[in-house]
Amino acid sequence: MSRIDPNDKGSILAPLKNLQFFGRKAVTESLDPRPASANYRGFHLNDWEACIGCSTCQKVCDNAAITMAEVPGLPEDPEKGVRNLRPAIDYGRCCWCALCVDLCPTGSISLSREYVHTCTDPELDSYFVLPDSSGIHGVAYDKGWAKHAESDMVALERTDMPELAPEARIGNFDEIVDGYDRNQGIIEASRCVQCGMCHDACPTHMNAPEYIRAIWQDDIEEAVRQIYRTNPFAHTCGRVCTHRCETACSVGHRGEPIAIRWLKRFAMDQLSHERVKQIAAEGRQSSPSGQRIAIIGAGPAGLTAAYDLAMQGHAVKVFEAMGAAGGMTRYGIPYYRLPADKLDNDVDVITSLGVEIQYDTRVGTDVTMEQLRDDYDAVLIAVGLWMGRSTRVRGADAEGVHRAVELLRKVADGESIPVPKRAVIIGGGNVAMDIARTLARLQKRKHGQVAITLTALEDIDHFLADPDEIREAREEGVEILDARGPQEVMLDGQGRATGLRTLKVLSIFDGQGRFAPKFDDADELVHDGDMVVEAIGQAADVNLLGEALTEELEWQRGRLRVDEQLRTSADWLWAAGDMVRGPDVVSAVADGHRAAASIHDHLMISEQAA
Amino acid sequence: MTKGKELSTWLDKVLSELEGIEFRRKSSRRLRVDVAADALPALLELLRGRASYVHLSAISCVDWPDDGAFELVYHVWSYELQSLVSAHTRIPREPGVYISVYDIYTPAAFFERDIHEMFGVYFEGSPDMSKFILTEWDGPPPMRKDFDSEAWVNDHFDWQDYNPEWLKEIVAQGGGIAIRPDEQRFSRK
Amino acid sequence: MRPENYETQRQPPSHEYELNIGPNHPGIEGNYAFKLRLHGDEVIEGRADAGYLHRGFEKLMEGRLWIQNLAITPRICVPDPVPMEISYCLAVEDLCGLEVPERAKWLRVLQAELSRLAAHLFTFGGHAATTGMYTPMFWGMADRDLILDLFEELCGGRVYHIYNIPGGVRRDMPPGFIERVSNTIDYLESRLPDYDNLMFRNRVFVKRARGVGVISQQHALDWAVTGPNLRATGLAFDVRRDDPYLVYDQLDFDIVTEDAGDAWARALVRRKELFESIKIIRQVLAKLPEIEGPIRCPIPNPLAWNVPAGSTYVRMESSKGELAWYVVSNGGEKPYRTHVRGPSQMHAVQVLEKLSVGCRIEDVAQIMFSLDACPPEVDR
Repeated sequence: MSRIDPNDKGSILAPLKNLQFFGRKAVTESLDPRPASANYRGFHLNDWEACIGCSTCQKVCDNAAITMAEVPGLPEDPEKGVRNLRPAIDYGRCCWCALCVDLCPTGSISLSREYVHTCTDPELDSYFVLPDSSGIHGVAYDKGWAKHAESDMVALERTDMPELAPEARIGNFDEIVDGYDRNQGIIEASRCVQCGMCHDACPTHMNAPEYIRAIWQDDIEEAVRQIYRTNPFAHTCGRVCTHRCETACSVGHRGEPIAIRWLKRFAMDQLSHERVKQIAAEGRQSSPSGQRIAIIGAGPAGLTAAYDLAMQGHAVKVFEAMGAAGGMTRYGIPYYRLPADKLDNDVDVITSLGVEIQYDTRVGTDVTMEQLRDDYDAVLIAVGLWMGRSTRVRGADAEGVHRAVELLRKVADGESIPVPKRAVIIGGGNVAMDIARTLARLQKRKHGQVAITLTALEDIDHFLADPDEIREAREEGVEILDARGPQEVMLDGQGRATGLRTLKVLSIFDGQGRFAPKFDDADELVHDGDMVVEAIGQAADVNLLGEALTEELEWQRGRLRVDEQLRTSADWLWAAGDMVRGPDVVSAVADGHRAAASIHDHLMISEQAA
Repeated sequence: MTKGKELSTWLDKVLSELEGIEFRRKSSRRLRVDVAADALPALLELLRGRASYVHLSAISCVDWPDDGAFELVYHVWSYELQSLVSAHTRIPREPGVYISVYDIYTPAAFFERDIHEMFGVYFEGSPDMSKFILTEWDGPPPMRKDFDSEAWVNDHFDWQDYNPEWLKEIVAQGGGIAIRPDEQRFSRK
Repeated sequence: MRPENYETQRQPPSHEYELNIGPNHPGIEGNYAFKLRLHGDEVIEGRADAGYLHRGFEKLMEGRLWIQNLAITPRICVPDPVPMEISYCLAVEDLCGLEVPERAKWLRVLQAELSRLAAHLFTFGGHAATTGMYTPMFWGMADRDLILDLFEELCGGRVYHIYNIPGGVRRDMPPGFIERVSNTIDYLESRLPDYDNLMFRNRVFVKRARGVGVISQQHALDWAVTGPNLRATGLAFDVRRDDPYLVYDQLDFDIVTEDAGDAWARALVRRKELFESIKIIRQVLAKLPEIEGPIRCPIPNPLAWNVPAGSTYVRMESSKGELAWYVVSNGGEKPYRTHVRGPSQMHAVQVLEKLSVGCRIEDVAQIMFSLDACPPEVDR
């Protein structure tokens, strides 16, 4: 700068210099209206198609400016993680920080390039706005501050789960997934935005937001406490749950959902078994009710009901046909997914509450339903689905054709099964994957190599199996052929299976949505295999009911008919689990709770009446 | 700056010889000293008089009700050494009385008045303990942890009630306000 | 009308009277009262009275998540919000051990200096207005607006930028931003001679400002005066150079000093600092294209973010002087305590009360503005 001398008296003509300003543009000239800058944080826009009503914006709002309003007519689907709530903004409180934009899981919220809003009515009502994508004044302004990779604060990436490499796991039944260590668990838990979509989607409505937050706070005991509020099959579900919670997770809309299942497993693995037992028994009714309940089947549904009823002080006896408890989780799920000792822990927690399990007792043969009805105040039947369904194609009853559930049961029970050089599996669900991968392990051991072909009606995008299962099966060398319909089991001279002939599937359902597959006769394949395994579904073995009772009870499409409270048409008998619900562990657990609640209510009412 | 280095070494030596003082260098420009309440004025006099820490940057007060203590932190800066000493001391929360350091550092008057007003700590010998910011406030000192300002606000003020057209419409269709903001203030959890 | 907290020991004698300036008045950038006891037009005693703005920010911050406080920080000093944001972020980063990417540091310097320009232009206008000259006021505000345009482009907000977050900044520069900043500062530099002629070579301003509100260097040190007010007493101290943060140790700039210690010297220091800031911005603009890389480091989910227990004292040079934050975490998801030390806490209270004694009533407003005190810093 030129030197400034405070004593400089200056020229008397100096003011004349100012005449130059007549020739210059004024600095304080008025501006025409213009849109704000491309990043401007103006008024909220919300894309209602993308918004899922998770209310994360409301949680991060510094000024409590956001109210969630229920808008009738919008989609609401807990299983997909969609609610009909939309944020309404109080512009008397909003400070335009745009944290709601940066933390929005779906990216539906943005701020417009609009500068001015002022209140016109005396009640200030125009300051309370339910934004949609049309703008606060219905005038289309562009998006200003919107979701951008740089400013996105949603933790989209899941903490990698360490697991055995395919080469390391193929020759054995060791558990594949390592589980998180403490640090990984806390980091994964910290990604959660606590929207509770998981809770709504879960069949048994687990308090996932609560236990995830407890894990993040490094309070494992509280996490386990929250888990046991709704699910005594904690180890099991922490490993093999179908995790619908993760499908609904709001973070999953743009990123990877929170590993809710692995976090449950993490919490359970962190705490000693003895402490888990203490926590699970908290709040147990100390005085016996004097009521006795018989439960048939020591699977997830039966034992969950047993847990609840024992907590309420009832005497529970469980009749189990097999030599160990767990039902399908023990005899259907291979050890590499669910190690037996973890299942033992779950069962032990339940038996430690005084639940008695009588093993190797088949109801119908060793004890009859009528005896149970007479000896107990209520009976719950939860026997699961143990009979494999057959495709009934030509040759399906030949030697060398097996049902997946039966093979899996034998493997779990330690019995030996024939190990084929080449096997063909029919089916695209989790059971199909289980048997394919079990056989792959046995083949590797016996023959040194894996040779398995899996064929399914569905195309690969509509497989019923978990995507992880499909990926892992492929990694282990299972050849997966989708959209192939089984036509015939090929036989050799002795009537033994040598392979399977399939046709390309054109469609599975007809116009009315009925199962009526159509095939392309020109596209035919024959898959060689000295074993063919059918894994297309299971049915319940209901012979135990006996003829009289079968006659007496009401049925619906081959299943026992039950009402909302899982009561059958007989007032002493409830039914729950896979046999009424279809195969799914966590749904069975949910059923167990429901049945237990219904039985408890029933017993309390009859007690009062008596 | 050899003189500075000498002074700094000297200071480390003196501090290590003083009893009841813990000190930790966080970086070349940041020194944390923990000192008993009765020794603090002497330490400040030493820092100002002998070690060139002439600038009192601030006095911070932290309320630790679980420990029954107020923590007072005196941040002093030396223009010569270019280093900042944070001297931490704790005084009992009750009666919450301490000695003014106004005679050592003139600017303490403002900070002490501020702390008195916000935390209720009385500084004996401070020139002015009269109200400054909270002129019309007769409640408890608001910066104390046991004063819940949000509860106070909710007791004294109403939330703005709005009833705009869009809300009337969705209420007529069976919808309406589902989660109010105060029900889900995340920071309140 | 007598203010509530004006505690007179005795009834004033008849030749003395009281005058309450404020809370709204030309002497300051916010609501702030100054209560005078006068003898004729000479000030016998001045008492600063804050509390008209108090929002309890420090208390509010204890009740909000670490990230939610970002929206509060710039509001502590409206004319110069950027250093508030940055220093809060620096404190959190220090507690968390976050490593801020290089590019973010340079972007922060860019903002801090743009903000200093805007704040000094604002103060110029205000200072000149207190002497009855309104043209610098209009010019200062209009030129400041050009900087706010830049902030709007960069941050999405003109005044409350909320652009810094712990770990870096929220967005990178928009395309063409460097050029536009460059054009704006070229223009501002071309305006400096106009300001010189308008104010510093203006007999009215010189007469009014010289010798008013004199602070000696010793008094400045005793009263913890900082920033341009301290440098106007001849002491070359600047946190940017003497306690460097961000990348100020890599930048070439001068510490401007003046010796007179009066209102004139303080205005002149600010005027010269405009040029230094322009110099710094040019260096940053030249450097930014060379620095590739992210603009922030990964941070946890804001809804589940515990900051490790500890305390930190972070200092910055704002346009008004030494700005510091003392932040304490108890390991939780909210700050346990935040204490803002704004430079105006000294300038607007003790220093102002001392300087006003003996001056004439028409100079009070000028002394206040020449100290560049910011009431929200006192009244945080």
